[in-house]
Amino acid sequence: MSSKESAINDLLAELKQASFVAHREVEQVLPSIRHHGEDVTLAWIDACRRIFDYDREAGKAFIRGSREAEKVSETVLPWTEQALRFMRWRGSWRALEGFMANLPRAFGSLGHAGERRWAEIGFMWCARQIESGNAYFATPVLDLSGRQGIAGVEQINTPAEELFESRKLLLGTYLAGAIRVRNLLGAQAILPWALRGADIMQSGRVRGEAYFRLESEESLALLLEHLPGFRLTDRNRLLAMLLNIWYGGGFDLKESSWSPEKGRPFVESDGNSLFFPAVMPNRDEAVLAVLHGAGHMRFGTFDRLAMKEMFSEAKVDFPDSGPVSWTPIFMRYGDEALRFQLIFDLCEDLRIDFRIQHLVPNYLQRLLATAHATGTRHPESGAYFDLAVASIEEALAATHPHAVRSKRFGPLLDPAATVADAFRTASVIYSNDELPRIADLEAFYAAYLPGRGPNATRLAHPQERRDPQQQTQARGEQQDQSRDAGEQQDRTAQNAEAGDQQDGQQQEVAGHGDSSGTAMQAADRSDAQQRSDASREKGVPYPEWDYREARYKRNWSWVQEKKLAESNMAETNRLMNQYADALKRLKKAIQSQKPTRLAPLLRQLDGDDMDLNAVVSYVVEKRAGRSPKPAIYRRREMRQREVAVTLLADMSTSIMQHLPEGGGRLVDRVRAGVLLFAESMEEVGDSYSIAGFCSKYRDNVSYYTIKDFDEPLSQDVRSQIGGMSGRLATRMGAAIRHATARFEGIESRRRLLLILSDGRPEDYDDGGDRRYLHEDTRMAVKEAVAKGVHPFCITVDTMANQYLPQIFGRGHYMVLDHINSLPNKLPEIYLRLRR
Amino acid sequence: MKTAVNRIRGVERDIVQMPQAGDIAPYYEPQGNEVAIFEAAYRKRLPVMLKGPTGCGKTRFLEYMAFQLKRPLVTVSCHEDLTSSDLVGRFLLEGSETVWQDGPLTRAVKAGAICYLDEIVEARTDSTVVIHSLTDHRRRLTIEKKGQEIEAHEDFMLVISYNPGYQTVLKDLKPSTKQRFIALTFDFPPEDIERKIIVNEVPGISPEIAHQLVAAGRKARLLKDHGLEEATSTRALVYAANMMNAGLDPVTACQVAIVNPITDDMELAEALMEIVQAHFAV
Repeated sequence: MSSKESAINDLLAELKQASFVAHREVEQVLPSIRHHGEDVTLAWIDACRRIFDYDREAGKAFIRGSREAEKVSETVLPWTEQALRFMRWRGSWRALEGFMANLPRAFGSLGHAGERRWAEIGFMWCARQIESGNAYFATPVLDLSGRQGIAGVEQINTPAEELFESRKLLLGTYLAGAIRVRNLLGAQAILPWALRGADIMQSGRVRGEAYFRLESEESLALLLEHLPGFRLTDRNRLLAMLLNIWYGGGFDLKESSWSPEKGRPFVESDGNSLFFPAVMPNRDEAVLAVLHGAGHMRFGTFDRLAMKEMFSEAKVDFPDSGPVSWTPIFMRYGDEALRFQLIFDLCEDLRIDFRIQHLVPNYLQRLLATAHATGTRHPESGAYFDLAVASIEEALAATHPHAVRSKRFGPLLDPAATVADAFRTASVIYSNDELPRIADLEAFYAAYLPGRGPNATRLAHPQERRDPQQQTQARGEQQDQSRDAGEQQDRTAQNAEAGDQQDGQQQEVAGHGDSSGTAMQAADRSDAQQRSDASREKGVPYPEWDYREARYKRNWSWVQEKKLAESNMAETNRLMNQYADALKRLKKAIQSQKPTRLAPLLRQLDGDDMDLNAVVSYVVEKRAGRSPKPAIYRRREMRQREVAVTLLADMSTSIMQHLPEGGGRLVDRVRAGVLLFAESMEEVGDSYSIAGFCSKYRDNVSYYTIKDFDEPLSQDVRSQIGGMSGRLATRMGAAIRHATARFEGIESRRRLLLILSDGRPEDYDDGGDRRYLHEDTRMAVKEAVAKGVHPFCITVDTMANQYLPQIFGRGHYMVLDHINSLPNKLPEIYLRLRR
Repeated sequence: MKTAVNRIRGVERDIVQMPQAGDIAPYYEPQGNEVAIFEAAYRKRLPVMLKGPTGCGKTRFLEYMAFQLKRPLVTVSCHEDLTSSDLVGRFLLEGSETVWQDGPLTRAVKAGAICYLDEIVEARTDSTVVIHSLTDHRRRLTIEKKGQEIEAHEDFMLVISYNPGYQTVLKDLKPSTKQRFIALTFDFPPEDIERKIIVNEVPGISPEIAHQLVAAGRKARLLKDHGLEEATSTRALVYAANMMNAGLDPVTACQVAIVNPITDDMELAEALMEIVQAHFAV
């Protein structure tokens, strides 16, 4: 026995005394170390001993990691020496643990030189700050390198070093987020992202950490902003229009909570709404996805009876009411759940897509073309993708007459097929075909054709057979042939219920959600005022139309005229700044219109120019022996269009709701719109007034005159516009009657009443009978027309197409697709109307 | 090509022209009972009002009816500065004499023509009042400047058209004017008829293309409430078919004939193009 061998044995004995477990583990690793020679073995055991003495946990980690490290690196000394360096720093056992765990991967993917550099960088972090070192070594090497070798590690490291030097940003805070940012957006996005994060960090630690975890709104927003692809959030209007074109509308479009690191984006549906991600890879995929999602809702994926049939076939309980989870169906397949889910989705999607093809020409062709353009298949789930493509090709062939339908997918192409048929077909394919098992989520997601996606991600809201959705569909198909008034009524009533629910929520939102203190206080105050006012003065009575008895109820609604109590100059200034460009554009547009409005006035008794036609006819008539009036001049001046307009804004609670896509509340846009309208009107020169209204019960309709016809646009008026806010309900009929009455005494041949609304007429005391106030409003509009006032309604309620035609008549209303367009559109609409 | 109006090209002609033997009837595809209604109104010499969106066939219908009834058609396109003397007539100087010149309305009244006031709402209200006495039992035109009255020719008939769209909220006809008319409401024709129209108007277009065009047009009309001032008209579809017939590829033809003319809104144009591409892209 050599001296070295005895030294090894001594060390082993010492170790055994120190820790039985450590000794046992060393004994297990020892054989693989031994064939590097005695020197190496001695050095290694010595290192074990020293590290173990330094920190028990570190020692155990070292010993445990050694076997793999030796196997991959085929050396011992280099990494043993590296491990010893951790002893320089206090509290470094965690870093060493990470180091040992990562060693095999580091050697395997970076090579020996790469591994050295990787370790060097880590040591520098340990030297800077041990927590950062821990974080560094705890991060899997593959994540650090991003499959780009040591260059990838440097890529991540360089900004981190910079930020640590300049901003004291710790690596632990930065690392995980930075890796995800690089995976999503590429290396160049890391530094700007991190710099922004460092700023936020300085303003608040919690906020900053949330940012770096990619959990805060602002970091997600920043990410989404830089994410390449088709932005569905910005193209909301287009998508809604497309749904309207192909399905006749009636869909609730919402943004889903998808964020980049959740994987591939999909459009999802729960039977009630369509949820779209912020970004999709390209326009084709986005359009296909939205059309496909809508197809699920239209063609019975959520049909209650069919779902029930499917659940009972799968021997899963189906709840009688409330939302239904799909999960139990897939759980039956245990480890094969993802495999079955893919097959089921493939079948159901095929059924839906084939139905869509009849609605949207060339839909399947487009789907195929997009799928082919996708290029590479995921190695694990390519078989599913190919099968889906094959099934589409088969469906496409089936659109030709006399085509032979295969046994496998044929039943799904029957127009009477349901989701239950898809389930049956899927079960057959599941048990017969040799599609690979899928374990990895990434592979699972990659199996879907562009535009398709997992159908069962959300709780399903089963639809009744004769639900509004399907009625709208029937309408969409029939509307050209027949316009059945009865059905329309029916539909209105159903939507009224939906509206009811929504309004209830909106009120709740507005009630608790509004934290802009002053506005709320002011609103409260004015409510209090209202009550006292009401007791003092009942206001002006107006009749109200009761369609049930087909008669007017005399003196039924009482309108009290008030001044808006709150004003907010700061808000006005903010809006003026925000919309300064838009206002400039508008004013320019108005000015450019002016020359046409400075049309020559012909046949005037005086003026600066001769009207040639008038002169000729004057001379002619004179010669003919008549005595014509000497109106032979023309004059250029502002043509007296004699238009008077009232802008009547709906100030009910619902305008306080936050916009679904963020960026403030409805009321912000309303204020901006009214303000731009007022400023533009100054430029136009027409006589105008601005008012708002809200109501609570029939005897308490408030009418706020913000600016009267003869009142100048003063700072006071401007600040009142800034202070507009929502409260109570919408008794529109009474407000229209009052506004009409206010036109009396205005010398103007054309009178226009612009009503700005965000929902249907309603009040607390309408007893749930939506039709009552609808009919009353309709009558109020008729009365206004009879008095020479033309009402025109501008609304942001996308459902408004269903009730406004009946109230205002076709062509006397406009639905804005998006509230953001209101500020700019409002003056434009007016200019168009007065043309 | 088809109508009497085109008989002599590039030559000034009087506005009152009787249809001649040998003229080819203007092409019109009836959508419902409008021909019968118009004939009944003509039999009783009642004035008729044609309502409907741009490009749905109002003018063509009238050309067709005038031909069928063998009456000359005098068309006046109304505009903002149209005065009553533009309709009735005026004095002109000729040497040292003054000469009265009849306006188109007076000419039609005398000749027993069908007088068509196109887009009457555009005219100033004072000029529309002159037609009042023509439209009731009196059937009489007063020429104020001459101090004369003309009893209308027994075959004279007055027809007006207007397009109730929201751009004319303020420019509506007075109810007192409106109620003097028999009103015919036009809309874009049903699909099969619209197909027939396209095939007839554009000889050589395949029925399949016509089918796709009509389907696309139908979808495009659904966007009317989304900011389109005018819906895609039958005329636009015919134009598109013409462009295709002239050798343009279908998508481009639709873009220049259907999409570009009706909107400047990028997003709307994009939605319209989606429709076109769905129907025509292969």
